[in-house]
Amino acid sequence: MLRYLIKRLLGIIPLLFGITVISFAVIHLAPGKPAAVEQSMDPRVSAESRARMAKLYGLDRPLHAQYIDWVAKMARFDFGRSFGDNRPVLDKILERIPVTLAINISSLLLIFGLGVFLGIKGALRPNSLFDHSLTVGMFLLFAAPTFWLALLAMQLFSIQLGWFPISGLTSLDYEYFSPLRKFLDICWHLFLPVCVISFGSLAGISRYMRASMIETLRQPFITACRAKGLSRGAVIYKHALRNAILPIVTIVGLSIPGLLGGSVIFESIFALPGIGRLFYEAVMTRDYPLIMAEVVLGAVLTMIGNLVADISYAYADPRIKYGKK
Amino acid sequence: MRKNPYLTAGVVIIGLMSLAAIFAPLLSPYDPSVIDHANLLSSPSASHVMGTDSLGRDLLSRMIYGARISLSIGLIAVGISVILGILLGALAGFYGGWVDTLIMRFADIMLCFPTFFLILAVVALTEPSIFNIMAIIGLTGWMGAARLVRGEILSLKEREFIQAEQSLGASHARIIGLHLVPNAMGPVMVHATLGIASAILLESGLSFLGLGVQPPVPSWGNILIESKSTLGIAWWITLYPGLAILLTILGFNFLSEGLKKKLG
Amino acid sequence: MENLLEIKNLRVEFGTEGKPVAAVDGVNLSLRPAETVVLAGESGSGKSVTALSVAGLLPPEAVIRSGEVIFQGRDLRRLSGGEFDRVRGREIAYIFQEPASYLDPVYTIGSQIAETLTLHQGLDTGAAARETLSLLALVRIGEPERVARSYPHQLSGGMNQRVFIAMALACRPRLLIADEPTTSLDITIEAQIISLLCELKEKFGFSLLFITHNLAIGRRIAERIYIMHRGTVVEEGSPQSIFNSPAHFHTKELIAAYEKIGRVK
Repeated sequence: MLRYLIKRLLGIIPLLFGITVISFAVIHLAPGKPAAVEQSMDPRVSAESRARMAKLYGLDRPLHAQYIDWVAKMARFDFGRSFGDNRPVLDKILERIPVTLAINISSLLLIFGLGVFLGIKGALRPNSLFDHSLTVGMFLLFAAPTFWLALLAMQLFSIQLGWFPISGLTSLDYEYFSPLRKFLDICWHLFLPVCVISFGSLAGISRYMRASMIETLRQPFITACRAKGLSRGAVIYKHALRNAILPIVTIVGLSIPGLLGGSVIFESIFALPGIGRLFYEAVMTRDYPLIMAEVVLGAVLTMIGNLVADISYAYADPRIKYGKK
Repeated sequence: MRKNPYLTAGVVIIGLMSLAAIFAPLLSPYDPSVIDHANLLSSPSASHVMGTDSLGRDLLSRMIYGARISLSIGLIAVGISVILGILLGALAGFYGGWVDTLIMRFADIMLCFPTFFLILAVVALTEPSIFNIMAIIGLTGWMGAARLVRGEILSLKEREFIQAEQSLGASHARIIGLHLVPNAMGPVMVHATLGIASAILLESGLSFLGLGVQPPVPSWGNILIESKSTLGIAWWITLYPGLAILLTILGFNFLSEGLKKKLG
Repeated sequence: MENLLEIKNLRVEFGTEGKPVAAVDGVNLSLRPAETVVLAGESGSGKSVTALSVAGLLPPEAVIRSGEVIFQGRDLRRLSGGEFDRVRGREIAYIFQEPASYLDPVYTIGSQIAETLTLHQGLDTGAAARETLSLLALVRIGEPERVARSYPHQLSGGMNQRVFIAMALACRPRLLIADEPTTSLDITIEAQIISLLCELKEKFGFSLLFITHNLAIGRRIAERIYIMHRGTVVEEGSPQSIFNSPAHFHTKELIAAYEKIGRVK
């Protein structure tokens, strides 16, 4: 286990390197690189910004030197200053990250929990009416564009039924709430977004879980468990589940980049102050330092998420944890 | 037909969509860009089957032309990613060694990036155009096809008929192109149909944010921009484009399930 | 002496769609207390299906069309799910062909054995752990503590089968069904396992229903042998009568097969 852990952690280094290289390459080599902005007559980019950017990137210097500069700065957590308000990019990101993390972690928990639950239920009654309607439902959910579902949900639950707030993170008189009420207020505001965000991935996970469960229930050791006289419940929930759930952990990890990417649209629709919306604003205002930092951040978060998922899997499966004899 | 309902359903849905896209000028009742001040935001009626938008443009017509845009973007973007994927996967699988490691590492790194972030970053640098969208979606989606092709080639490489060809002195390109790659095409096709679906989703998301297909060119995504402001007032602007996207994605999903079943 | 187990006219069909196939058709078998019976036949003869029917472990595609399975005077087919659960593991134990596949890979050996003890005898964790160690010693495992802490994939095939035997005998069952337990093991290990089983049978007095395709084992350990072919019992008798005067052609085939390989023990 330790050996696996070390191997995996060492593997991060080339990955991080690669992430920075690709990010740099995309920004600087794509048509219309920052240099072109200097010469463009785009009124959105003021002369001040152009000068700032030339200085920031040392655009007269060779590319690899620029790259090293940039990486060196990042290693010191200096992501430059935002073009919009000249505040350090790091600050702007840090103040928005909690919201995005709260939303995405809640979504992951919901996806995992509900997905596993529905998958099991489908596997236990394969080809029943329940199972078929579940499959059809999941197909539809999978196919629906989630931002559209967000709009529909807003229409139904917020506007017509009035159960949830239309947008935003907090209510108008948030300042005057007690800490408990503040927490509940945020939960109430985040409930709809988290549910809607989860729907797409939920469909996928429940299908995988169903397949995994059906496959596991066919394994010989399940028959042996029954031969021991274990009740049906014990066989399913103690033995089958524990085995079937292992690959799901990795798959849930794979849905992280999708969640992060989706946060751009969702945070915009629901007016939530997270890093997704920050990214959108940065793109609209061509705020390059912020854009670059966010691209790297998105990749790093994904990488960490996958790492956590893989390590959890290795820990949970004794065949990996203890290796072959 | 009964034996593979998924395939049938998929072919029917996508077929109809494609026909609508191809014959758009013949099928759409109105010119999609004609503004009609008399009929702003009118609900569905006999003259406007899907209603009109805030500029009085007929929604049905815009939807039909939107099909054209979305489907072609999806198709071409996936075409790019499949070609790129086959190329890189074939090189990685056939030559092995450091070529393989390099390409697979590259794929691993690319997979770390939320696609949307990369696409948005590129769009920030360039003006959003249909060509750019197709290119960037294509360039960020090759990893899946590459993995599949590489896997097939790795397992086929050791087979006798390949070694026979090699001993006869066939060129690498011939072996790869004529024998190895065609065997991998099945799974790649399945992957590609799903890829078109996700490309369409990506494009509609981008257009919805205003960074994809630019108005007045209609795309299902950018029609939905208006729904934000007309929520609660004009349900048809929200419902129909979303439904169209849903149906299309469903169609491609069915198609891929059907192909999977057919290939065994 | 009353029979411990009696199978009467058992018919098991597979396949619900289209024409069902009878894997077992009209099988009669009996077993006395503390008796060793070998059920022999080639693959596909229906011996495993017969055994699985006794323990109520048939897969969902299989249906017992007719017949009776009477164990200690009760027709097992009449039992409810919960009642059968109490019989399995406690009165009737089962060991399988490839022990590694039949053990849960994510739980330790110790916890899997203790599970049976807690389930059927109500032992608490401490008592179950102690009993587990003594069971492991019983099957001649050298380092019981280490093995109890191990996972199935860390042990060899022979070791896993000993573990399985320990687990099966945990609650002192009346009947042990052994479905080709040594087929996938090396010959030397096979001999050890078989002699272990005989030794434990002498000690605890359970009945042993041993299923195999290898008649040599039958010759060595059986008091009676049943030969199955294509779903029915074609011959039955003591080892001497089977080997000295085989009646059915298939019996003769089986004897010829084992003699050719030369596995004379």
